[in-house]
Amino acid sequence: MRKKAISIHSSRGGTGKTMIATNLAAIYALKGLNVALLDLDFRSPSLVDVFSKGIREPVRHWLNDFLDGRCKAEQALTDASEAYGLKGKLLLGLANPAIEAIQNTMEKSRAWEVTAVKRLFSLHSALFGDMGIDCCIIDTSPGVQYTSINAVVSSDVSVVVATLDSLELKGLKNMLAELYDAFGKKTVVLINKVFPETRVWSSDKQKSVISKMEKVLKHPVIGVIPCYCDVLQAKRTSLLAVDKPFHPFLRNLEEVAEKLESINEANVEEDILCKAKS
Amino acid sequence: MWIRKSYILCIIVYTTIHFAVLNMGKAEQSTLKVERLLTKLVDELNLVNQKLGSLIELNEKMLKAQEEFLRVGSDRNHFATELKLEPDAMSLLSLPMSLRKTVMVLYKLEKATAEDLARETKRLRPVESAHANQLVRMGYLSKKREGREVYFYIESPMEMRK
Repeated sequence: MRKKAISIHSSRGGTGKTMIATNLAAIYALKGLNVALLDLDFRSPSLVDVFSKGIREPVRHWLNDFLDGRCKAEQALTDASEAYGLKGKLLLGLANPAIEAIQNTMEKSRAWEVTAVKRLFSLHSALFGDMGIDCCIIDTSPGVQYTSINAVVSSDVSVVVATLDSLELKGLKNMLAELYDAFGKKTVVLINKVFPETRVWSSDKQKSVISKMEKVLKHPVIGVIPCYCDVLQAKRTSLLAVDKPFHPFLRNLEEVAEKLESINEANVEEDILCKAKS
Repeated sequence: MWIRKSYILCIIVYTTIHFAVLNMGKAEQSTLKVERLLTKLVDELNLVNQKLGSLIELNEKMLKAQEEFLRVGSDRNHFATELKLEPDAMSLLSLPMSLRKTVMVLYKLEKATAEDLARETKRLRPVESAHANQLVRMGYLSKKREGREVYFYIESPMEMRK
């Protein structure tokens, strides 16, 4: 896999971003890749809860501290690979869930955001350089917010998770055109929580639905994941890729992971030009 | 006859006195008028003096600014560096794609020559130089000379500010 930073974003909340980000990271780490998973959802941090089993020592430095310039990159990362028995490394960059930290994030100035985006780039360099990370997955906050935009700007590929809610699709279409194309980032759409009937769809039917979606959204749809009640009801602390490795949700996600590995982010401008011509 | 003469004399004396008194009053009145006019004139002169003082002060300031302008006249980016804008990700959305790309590369490189930028953006060096200089003029970037190289960078004077 070519070293790349993948941001997981959505136009609205509740699309399953965190579930996809955590399991995608675990899938890669189980395959033997070295992965970093960053929680850039500073307003509603969740990775600290999801990985509570894997965090053995109290967290001294958060990702917030790194962006504030209070610690080095390696200090802000927690290694969770041993706790989950993963082949590759899994480094976690956790957002501070304390209310003061969330409030502090909300009061940041534009000057701070410029520094934050520069620090994110330096974090990627450190991860892909000395730390030997192959893939960095960034879980973001939904909608257009500074932290999520900073994550999109600093990543190589953006995965936009969406459900088939008509309102959400409208917002998503605007966001794709006005945000992702504007930054010239390779962007793919992942449809999640689709009605359960899709599980029994033939591959031809799936393909035709995906091609229709692509025409509407004008961006490639990388996968369609049906809704599984047990996934929705699973404990926040459960890492599905480790706890239930044969779950059909993971089969779908593994396909997505493979497609993401083969994405070439270098031809983004050509894609945008093609879209403009069409 | 004497009475008549005395009466006429009285009238003459009275009239003379009356006119004398009247003239005295008029003289006093005109003196007052002159005084009032003079006071008014002094006030007006004071006002003119004050305004002249302000004009001289303003002129001195303008001269100082002109001297400063002439002193830094060779540095074309002086005013751009004075008026710095924060090139945060949201602000980038209001820039044209060509300029946006240059800023995004500078997020990553922190400091770069036009050649470094061109290598990243895969555009020609003169094109990249023009874009970076335009961003300097707009106040989004700063530039400095180090030896023979000119480096473009995003200035973060409030780096540690909240």
